[in-house]
Parts: sequence; C-alpha cells; structure tokens
Amino acid sequence: MEILQKIFKDKFAKSAFIVLAFLYLIILFADFIAPYSSTYSNRDMSYAPPSKIYTITEEGKWSLPYTYNYIREYEPALMQTIYKQDRSKKYYIKPFVKGEKYKLLGIIPCDRHLFGVRNGGYIYPLGTDINGRDVFSRLLFGGRISMTIGFLSLFIVFPIGLLYGGISGYFGGILDTIMMRFAEAIMAIPSFYLLIILAAILPSGMTSIQRFCLIVVILALIGWAGFARVVRGMVLSIKNEEFVQAEKTMGASNLRIILKHILPQTTSYVIIAMTLSVPSYILAESGLSFLGLGIQQPDASWGNMLKEAQEFTNILYRPWLLTPGFLIFIAVLSFNLLGDAIRDFLDPKSQSK
Amino acid sequence: MKKALHIIFILCIVVVFGMLVIKKDTPENAFSENYLTETENITYPAQNKNITLDGVDYLQSQAPVGKFGGELVISTIGEGPKTFNPCNTKDATSSSMAGILYDGLLTTDARTGEVIPQLAKSFEIKGTDYIITLRKGLKWTDGVPITADDVIYTYKDIVFKGLGNTSARDSMMVRGKLPELVKIDDYTVKFTTPEPFAPFLRQLTYPIVPKHYFKPHSDQGDSVFGAFLNPNTPPTQIVSNGAFKLKEYVAAQRVVFERNPDYYKVNLKNEKLPYLDKLVYLIVGDTNNEILKFEAKEVDVLGLRGSNVARYKLKEPTSDYKIYNLGPDTGTLFLVINLNNRKNAEGKYYVSPVKQKWFRNRNFRNAVDWAVDRKGMVKNIAQGVAAPLFTAESMNSIYLNKSIKGHPQDKNVSKEFLNKAGFYLKNGILYDKDGNRVEFDLYTNAGSLDRESIGVMIKQDLEDLGMKVNFKPIEFNSLVNKLSNTNDWDMVIIGLTGSPLEPHDGKNVWTSSGPLHLFNQRPQNYKNDDRYSWEVELDNIFEEGALKLSFKERKPIYDRYQQIIYEEKPIIYLYSPTRITAIRKRFKNIFPSALSGLVYNLEEIYVGDDEEKTSLGGAK
Repeated sequence: MEILQKIFKDKFAKSAFIVLAFLYLIILFADFIAPYSSTYSNRDMSYAPPSKIYTITEEGKWSLPYTYNYIREYEPALMQTIYKQDRSKKYYIKPFVKGEKYKLLGIIPCDRHLFGVRNGGYIYPLGTDINGRDVFSRLLFGGRISMTIGFLSLFIVFPIGLLYGGISGYFGGILDTIMMRFAEAIMAIPSFYLLIILAAILPSGMTSIQRFCLIVVILALIGWAGFARVVRGMVLSIKNEEFVQAEKTMGASNLRIILKHILPQTTSYVIIAMTLSVPSYILAESGLSFLGLGIQQPDASWGNMLKEAQEFTNILYRPWLLTPGFLIFIAVLSFNLLGDAIRDFLDPKSQSK
Repeated sequence: MKKALHIIFILCIVVVFGMLVIKKDTPENAFSENYLTETENITYPAQNKNITLDGVDYLQSQAPVGKFGGELVISTIGEGPKTFNPCNTKDATSSSMAGILYDGLLTTDARTGEVIPQLAKSFEIKGTDYIITLRKGLKWTDGVPITADDVIYTYKDIVFKGLGNTSARDSMMVRGKLPELVKIDDYTVKFTTPEPFAPFLRQLTYPIVPKHYFKPHSDQGDSVFGAFLNPNTPPTQIVSNGAFKLKEYVAAQRVVFERNPDYYKVNLKNEKLPYLDKLVYLIVGDTNNEILKFEAKEVDVLGLRGSNVARYKLKEPTSDYKIYNLGPDTGTLFLVINLNNRKNAEGKYYVSPVKQKWFRNRNFRNAVDWAVDRKGMVKNIAQGVAAPLFTAESMNSIYLNKSIKGHPQDKNVSKEFLNKAGFYLKNGILYDKDGNRVEFDLYTNAGSLDRESIGVMIKQDLEDLGMKVNFKPIEFNSLVNKLSNTNDWDMVIIGLTGSPLEPHDGKNVWTSSGPLHLFNQRPQNYKNDDRYSWEVELDNIFEEGALKLSFKERKPIYDRYQQIIYEEKPIIYLYSPTRITAIRKRFKNIFPSALSGLVYNLEEIYVGDDEEKTSLGGAK
C-alpha cells in the first residue's frame, strides 16, 4: 500500500500506472468494448480504412456522431481496390447496441457492446485487415495474449531463481561454485537459435497458444540464471547479518532460514526485476509472432497483427495496421517507467534524483 | 504560475481531443486520377534464322539492333544457387542460374511454346528417330569445339546413368525403356525412342555439358559429381556455352555473370550477342526486401503481387519503369485432402479411420469445394490481381480444359452434399452418421501472409458448415516432411509449379505411384493395388497421353484428366495470381510472353539511350 501511495506521488509513475491499469481494464472487458468479436470478418471490406466519424453535418449543424459505410470498387486499369463513402445513408453511433453474443468475463452471457451502429452499418474505428476483420476489436483481444504472456514466465523465473540463488549464496563454498558455474553455462545458451530450432521440431499438433506457452516456458527455463546470480550476491551479504546468526543459534533449519528470513530481504529487488522483465516478454512475444514462431493466425496478438504491416505497401497506404506497434510501445514504456520509479522508492541508495 | 501552466496544459489536451472528436462532414473528393492506359502494341521479332559466316553456323536474332554495354540487375529470392552443375540442380534458383551457363540442343520458343533449335542447327523427326544436326564452329568458353561427342557424353554418361538429378531420365523413359542414341558424324546424332513418345522432343532441351571438363568428375560416381561445380568453384574455371559466363559469386549476396564473347547468336548486323556486359542476380531474403531494393534502384526487374500492383501502376507514368501484364501464373495454388488409408511402419493409420471415412467420401470433398470462397480470395488476398482456378492445369496451359467452367461459392450446395453423405447438424455442430464430430487439421506454411489469410477464410467457411477446423501454419520444412514422409495431415494449402506446355510433367503428381501423389501417397515399391477406379484411369491417361504425338490427339486425353480431378476433387484448386512485372524503361528488346515471362531473352536485351528522359526534361 505504501508503494501505491508513493507511485501516486511521482508524476511519471502515476501516469504509467494509470495507463497500464487502463490497458488491463480494457483487455479484461474486451468482449464488451470491442464492437466485433476477434473472428468476425466482412469479406467485402478487406483493408477498409478507418470509419470516419462526424459530429457536424454537411449543413454545419451539430449532430450525434455518425458514420458512413464504405463501398468497395475495383479499378481495372490500375488494378486497384478503392473505398468510397456511401453517402446515401448515415449510421448513428449508439451506445450499448446489440451485437454478437459473448460471455462477459467468461461467465455472464451478454450481447450488448459498448458502442456500435445498427441496421447494416459498419464501424471500424481503426480500419480492417486483409480478411476484413476489425483491427480495433482484434487489438483488444490480441492484448489479452500480449499483455499477460509475460506473467506466465514470471511464475517460472522467480521461484527457480530465488531458491537457486538463495541456496547457492547461503551455503557457499564448493556448492556455490558448482551451482554458479552451472547457471553460467545456462546463460550461455543462445536463445534465438534455440527458438528457431524449437519452431521446427515442436509437434505441430498443438494450437498456437499451447505452442507459444511452451516456448515461453522454455525461454523462462533458460532465463532464470541471471536473476539467480543477483539473488546469490544479495544472500551472501545478508547471511552475515545478526538476525541470521540469531536464527541459527535458535536451531532453525537451513531451508527455513533461507525461505523465511533471507529471501524476504530481497523483496525490493524482486519487485523491481519483475516489473522490468514483463516488458521484455511483451517484446519477445511480438518479435516471435512477427517472425512466425509465436501466435499464429487466426488468433490475434499484437506481434502477429504487426506482421501484416510488414508488407511494403501496407506501411505506405494502410497506416492503421501499425496501431499494434504503437500499443506495444506504450505498454513497454509504461512498464519501464513504473519499474524505474519503484526502484527509486524501494532502494533509496540508488536514487537518481 | 504553476497552476496557470497546468490549466493551459489541460486546455490544450481538451482542444486537441475536441478536434479529434468534432469533425465536420465534408464530401470527400472522389478518387479521380486521370489515368490513361497506353495500349502500346509490341511488335514481336520473327523467329531466329540460321546464318553461316566464315564456316561458323550462327543463330541470327531478328530483334531490333541494340547497343552494346551496360548491365541488368535481377533479384532472386532465397539463399542463392546451391550448384552451377546443370545436371544436378534440385531447386529453381540453381536451375535458372545453371540454365544461363549451359544451352541445350533445342529450346522452347518463348512465345509459341514450340520446340526450336538452339545448339542444334536443325532437327528432323522420322517416326521414332530424332536426327539432330549441330552447329559447326561452336566453342566452349575455353576454346574447345562443341561436337557430337559432348552430346553423346551428356546423354549417355550423365542422363541415362542417372547422375545428379534423375528427373530427366525418368521423363525420358517409355514403359521402363530409355531411348537409344548413336553418333552419325562429328556434328550429327540420332535418338531413337522405343515407341512414339510425344514429350521426348521437349526433353532435348536438356543442357549439353563439356565432356573434357565434366568427364573426370562424372567418372568418379554420384557423390563426387554431386559436389562438382558447387558454389565454391572458382568462377573462371567453369567451362560453359551459354550467353553469359560466371564471373563472381558472393554467397548470399550476388551472382555476377559476364558476356560470353564467343556466343553463337548474332544480331541483324552480324555482331555477336549478348549486348549486356554484365548480368547480376542479387540474392534477397524476401519479397519486401526485393521491393525496397527496387525502390532504391538496386534492382531493375520486380515481380508485383496483390496490393503492390496498384501502387506501381499509379506511379508508372512518372517513373522510370514500365509494367507488363504477363497473364496467369504458371503455378497452381490448392487445398489438398489426404485420402490415405494405409498404415505406417508401426501399424498405425496415417489418417485415423474416422477421418478416412470423411475424406474418402466424394460428397464430403464436394461440400468442401463448394464452401470455398474463391471470389473472396481473389478480391481480398490478391486484391483483384488474380482469377479463380478450378483446373489441375494452370490457366495459361495450352492444354487447359476450357469446358470446366467452375462454380460460385454456395454453402447450400455444400449442405446438400453433406446430407447426402449422411452428415447431420446438431446445435450448429456437424456430426457424421456414426455420431463423430467433424474436426480436422488444416496446415499451411507459416510466414506467408497470403496463405495464412487463405487458411483463415477456409476455416471460417468450413466452420459455417459446422465443422471444426484447427488451422495450423507451420514451418515450411516441417510441412514438406509431413507431405512427403510422415503423411500425418488432413488438409494442406500449398502450391505447385508446372509447365504450361507439357502436361506430362505432372506425371509425378497424378500417377498413383508418383513421388508427389500428395493426396494418396503410396510408399515406394508398393505392391497392393488399392487404386480408386479414377486413379486407374489417371494412370492410363498419363501413359497414353505421352505416346500420342500430335496436339490434336493429346488434347482430349488431357482434358479428361482435368475433368476427373474436377469431379473427384482430391485437390481443390483455389486461385491463380496474375503475373505483373515491372522493368526499367531503359531496357529495350523486351517482349513479354505469357509462357516465359519478361526477361527470358537475356542475350537480346540491351540498355537503350536516355533520350526519352532528356527530352522530357527539356519539355519541362
């Protein structure tokens, strides 16, 4: 709680925290906020530009927000697909419209969406992709994978790293030397090549989510070593403190001392390391999906959505396909700002200000 | 002061936000780019003539006379050539590079598809005899004359013995027998096929290699020969006879060819071709990389796809390149269904018996076919630059069965087919007549936006019918392994390249014992005859079609094979992209051809003056 209070005192940390809280809130309620589901597709509207939303009519009068549908035309001389507005009918944007059915939070059946248009209108706030799927909706669903995948690895990296570093530092001596050399050997495994090999040999029967989780788990299994080394360094100094000596004389078991008395002293470092490692997994997900090793179509993730923007003409003419990149940027930046701020609060010695 | 700043800051945000939200509705200027399609009539040159000068039989190009010098840079996607040995190429890049270095006796006319003389001066067919007369006075790049011995060596010691790539030998076999070859004199050879064999003439386009240079290596067997002329060979050592010889090869970067000064083709002024001093192949990683190189003017030729076409078409009038439409692609793109009902070595079925019942049911395959939205694929994935495909022959094949008209997507027809086969729907979920839920895997290679998007569409359409489709884009090599070795797949989206001139090349796919008989792959030396009646018919067609000689006789036979595939649908064809290629305007003697592409006549292409550019500049 104290940390929260401190976060709110720091301008950067506060905005980063709010942004992240906002992002997580949105992906939690993605079904409700998104006007369409992640599998919805309108084949007549492939690569449609974002819907233009107007609040002042042609005559210059105020109006409720409305939009027009697009008509798709093909120009044979140029071999080009052109989208024109169908200005014959206005579609007003209404709150809580009925749409595709879904289960809110996975339990409550519901068919209302935060906003939308009725009677055959379409609304694509950020345009559509090659299959005519709404980019805005897919961004929200894709965020569910991209923003949570990092935490999966935390559950592997931190328990292993803490225990391993704790034991190694506490006992010291030859055990310490052996354990640390082993950790160094693990750190020397080139992760990128490992991933490329994994992509080729993993059984193809898995869904892309299962595959990706497995890849993250493997990444985590080679990623704990660096963390364990830092913990071991901290434990080396903590084990000479008086309270540890006291514990020993009282006859506590070694494991109890490590788990109950030494490791809690490293909490501040752990929290910082955790916050700072989440963004690296967000980036890893987008990088892997971008290379075709991670989440695959038709599942959405920010990385594989960004892959579509890799096409040269898409960068030039369909900038809305770049929005996942913008969100990755925002999320990673926020995590880093927050992590930095927390470090300042928890570790007064290294205060940079 | 601080408060005032805060207020101003917040006001700014509100104003910016307001500007984003409050938007006046003004009609958009409709897209009205005045674009005139110049319909330039290309006059194609007449066929090459033979001309004898100073005792040397030259081939005279009838294309307009050009200027010597300059270079042409072409890109090639992938890792570059793996060998320069024309008898040992197993991938497209290697064979096109080796094809530049080595000419064959005959070649295919780029526009008509006829077989015409190349290294041969003329050829004569008498029943099963093929008499080939070579040009006199021709030399290898090291000065040794090209004679009938080289031809005999190439066919007898390499092709017939099956050194290197054996596919040439396989296609020359008629009922297990190879043709005979005799030397008549130093410049004449005679081939005799055991039976009249239509595809044989086209086999004589096989590159001829120098006996004095190849023999020491080919004598040592396949393993030595396989490594011969690998990319590490010093370029100056390579003895060849093509229009260009190898100058430099930098791994994963570029292949540089230089003019062969002794080439046997001349222009109308009897000057020796080729015009270009240098021909460079840049090795690029992928299509995006290729496009960027073209934009940076590092590459002169660019193949365009889908949405890229519109961008380059729009910019064409003010640019330094010209775009040619070469018509439908020679390859095919399809969805293949696994009809395999055999067990693997461990006694396990490749495809589970439940699924076998679906896939081996023609009604089921028809249901899938009618649910596929080809029009949507053409519209969205190819951005209109394609046409739906229904036949096993590609759309520019001269053997295309034009009576197969295809059909639109209609899910109601699909449902009828499923009903007929005993499938039923319950709560939107499709079950077969034994009550099994219809669920299967659909694979394609990952990393290709087009194929992944096709997969997404097919998955959606089939799920509308109540099936459950697990769409899995996997790494390309794993996919190939599945198709050719493990056979543990249900449906796959993949493509094949083919020849628009010779349907017999599809033998390895369509005959039941073929190594690429994807949909019902039998192990090698498979004894049981478990062929479908239509597979038997296909086997017969491919045997019979090769033995008929005239196009008129062969056409109905190959029409029938396309009809069978269309009716039985083991392979469901999707669409055929249109090939659009851009090339810099300064290159002249460009004669686009639906069969061969744009830059097939490398020796005739020359770099023109920049006249047009300067006159344009003057006008401004």
